[in-house]
Amino acid sequence: MDILKKTKEILAEILDIDEEEIAPETYLIRDMNAESIDLLELAVALNSAFNIKINDDEIFLRNLRPYLTEAKEKQADEVAYLLENFPFLTKDRMTQILDDLQGGPVLKVKDLAGYVAWREETS
Amino acid sequence: MKLEFSGSRALILGGSCDLALYLAESMIKVNLLPILTYRDENDHKKISNILSSFAGKYETVYLDFADIASLDALFCKIKDDLDFMVDFAQGDIEGLIASANPDDISRYFEQNISFRAKILKKAGRAMLKKKKGRLVFISSSAAAKPNPGQGFYAAAKLASEALYKNLGLELGSRGITTVTLRPGYIDTGRGKAYMQGREKEVLRRVPTRKAITAQEVTDTVLFFLSKSAAGFNAVEIAMDGGLTAGK
Repeated sequence: MDILKKTKEILAEILDIDEEEIAPETYLIRDMNAESIDLLELAVALNSAFNIKINDDEIFLRNLRPYLTEAKEKQADEVAYLLENFPFLTKDRMTQILDDLQGGPVLKVKDLAGYVAWREETS
Repeated sequence: MKLEFSGSRALILGGSCDLALYLAESMIKVNLLPILTYRDENDHKKISNILSSFAGKYETVYLDFADIASLDALFCKIKDDLDFMVDFAQGDIEGLIASANPDDISRYFEQNISFRAKILKKAGRAMLKKKKGRLVFISSSAAAKPNPGQGFYAAAKLASEALYKNLGLELGSRGITTVTLRPGYIDTGRGKAYMQGREKEVLRRVPTRKAITAQEVTDTVLFFLSKSAAGFNAVEIAMDGGLTAGK
């Protein structure tokens, strides 16, 4: 199954928008105004569609900022520390995320697809 | 009034208590499929004995509020396929707050509040897949008006009511709704045991001077599960003959 395509289909249905408007670089919250109930539905739908276990905190990068604070307190390499907690993201993507934090919630469609692919590989 | 239902699969927590078994019978008669939880073999046998004439029309599943693995196994067994849930489960504890054992307090709240929240998380997500679901929590008039010695019981009921209420608030837009029923003195189970030998004294406090019957409770729960009750959500309803309405 094409993970990105299926993820876009699911998002389009939950958020009631055209699939064509959704790209890998689209932000879930900044661009599509996804709310917490939408994210919950999304987690349930991804679990159902791909038959994988979803950890909501991981896939939605919920504890990104607290982990970043931890990394700073421990004087650890920030990217490496965050990748330990979000192993489905690449080093490049994590660097992008850190540069992008000021703009608001960083979660993009491609991150969801990355999570699904990682879960499929590791399960 | 003929009741109609959206779906058929009904998980009954605390499935071996008398009220749950009455409800299971009533459900079978209206073509619902009760799935009753049991905590040990004795409970399992009780369910099998009482529902012996309904073989094949109900299911049983193990669930122990002290065993998180049993919760995962339950939802695996029922394949997340759930239309209704009715929650009778409640651990028994009675004692004055100032004399309680600290370990018992922690265990009681872990099992009767935290574990219930974990059940609601699982049930809510299972129902989200179907975009519909109805949950009924059986609370107690003790939530509003506890007797001395019922502090922990009342606290657990109130906390659980809050969880059910919020689930209905949070998922109502997705077709998943909740109702809490607060029965008063019931002439079965623990209520019957409590009233034994002091029925008149107990019922003098109830404006109707009557205990609630098991049939009345099960009829009411069935109504709350039906399409006719779709307007009720995130609400607590007293069914106590007026016990908690006055001073």
